[in-house]
Amino acid sequence: MTTPRGKVALVIGSGGVKCAAAIGLQYALARAGIGLDMVVGCSGGALYAAIAALGFTPEEVHEKTLQLWTREVTSTRRRGARWQLLFPRLFGFSAEWGFRDDRLILERLRAAFGDRTFSDARIPLYLTATDFATGEQVVLSSGPLVPAMRASLAIPFIFAPYRVDDRLLVDGFLSDPLPVNVAIREGANIIVAMGFESPYQRAIRTPARFAFQVSSIMTNNLLKSRFAFHNAVHHAEVILVVPEFAKRVGVFDTWQIPYVIEVGERAAEPHAAYIRRLLDAGGTG
Amino acid sequence: MLAIEIEARGAVTLVEITGSLDGLTAGDLLERCTAELARGRASLVAGFGGVEYTSSAGLRVLLAVMKDARAREGDLRLAAVRPEVMRVLDLAGFSGILKIYDDAEAAIASFGA
Repeated sequence: MTTPRGKVALVIGSGGVKCAAAIGLQYALARAGIGLDMVVGCSGGALYAAIAALGFTPEEVHEKTLQLWTREVTSTRRRGARWQLLFPRLFGFSAEWGFRDDRLILERLRAAFGDRTFSDARIPLYLTATDFATGEQVVLSSGPLVPAMRASLAIPFIFAPYRVDDRLLVDGFLSDPLPVNVAIREGANIIVAMGFESPYQRAIRTPARFAFQVSSIMTNNLLKSRFAFHNAVHHAEVILVVPEFAKRVGVFDTWQIPYVIEVGERAAEPHAAYIRRLLDAGGTG
Repeated sequence: MLAIEIEARGAVTLVEITGSLDGLTAGDLLERCTAELARGRASLVAGFGGVEYTSSAGLRVLLAVMKDARAREGDLRLAAVRPEVMRVLDLAGFSGILKIYDDAEAAIASFGA
């Protein structure tokens, strides 16, 4: 089916610091004269989706990532968390439980984004989280940005689920690590999806590593099944960009951001040329 | 941006594809494969050694051809898929439903097995 005009969406999946590759992808798209009509982000991708929609400069992006995402954000234990885990009845375990204190990440999000709201974005912005009570995907697209990002980044066991508008929300990756469906629903017909598989553990010698491994297996299978469904049944053109990192990039390796951006840019270049041709042809081909 | 060469190899049709299988080119592949199927040649091998990329439009054509071929008691099998294309096939669930071989000869031989 040919559409009168291409409506381009960028979808950035979960992937920690690797999500910075989406910045490189935007450089490649901009060089080909391709503008974005909307941005969708999930978990780590929510940060870069917001940054893209707000129109920060590359220097600001780099600076904000270095300020925001360092090992310290997960290094402070939340007071009482361990006791609540060991003796839940005695110490009052609840759904708003996490091992780590979230005050620093909230403080940094506020420093980076201030009181900005979704309406400050230059293009429509959609961030996804997951309803902790029902498991449903929740799309956040109005109101202040910081609570929406905090909710999208509520990594289970690390940070407690976060309440937004009376709903307790947890990390968006739990409902869909690459929320292409949001772009489809919002009318995009050319969807550039940058996704990342969760890394598998090289050695499993602690319960935490064991839990990470289980999480990676489940997340990667969810990513594939959701993506397979959206890819096969909708008529939108979905262009999957999966950057290949020759070097290992850890969750907090912010010093590797220039490298991550470069890999993203390189991965996106051939796709940018195709999208340009597709737009010139008038739509989804 | 897509070159398609079709060669009869006994009962099997080898469809060698070169270029990018995407929204601008996938229609050509569908047309060529549908013509083969209409001629009663339902055992198809798609040689993917020259395929640089496939988008969702390309994947949907593979799915359509595979379903049509299987409805005619044949099949669509893939050969020589590049690693970068294989990642897309994996993530889109296609490596779980299509038979994929290291090279075209192995894929052609599989129809006799």
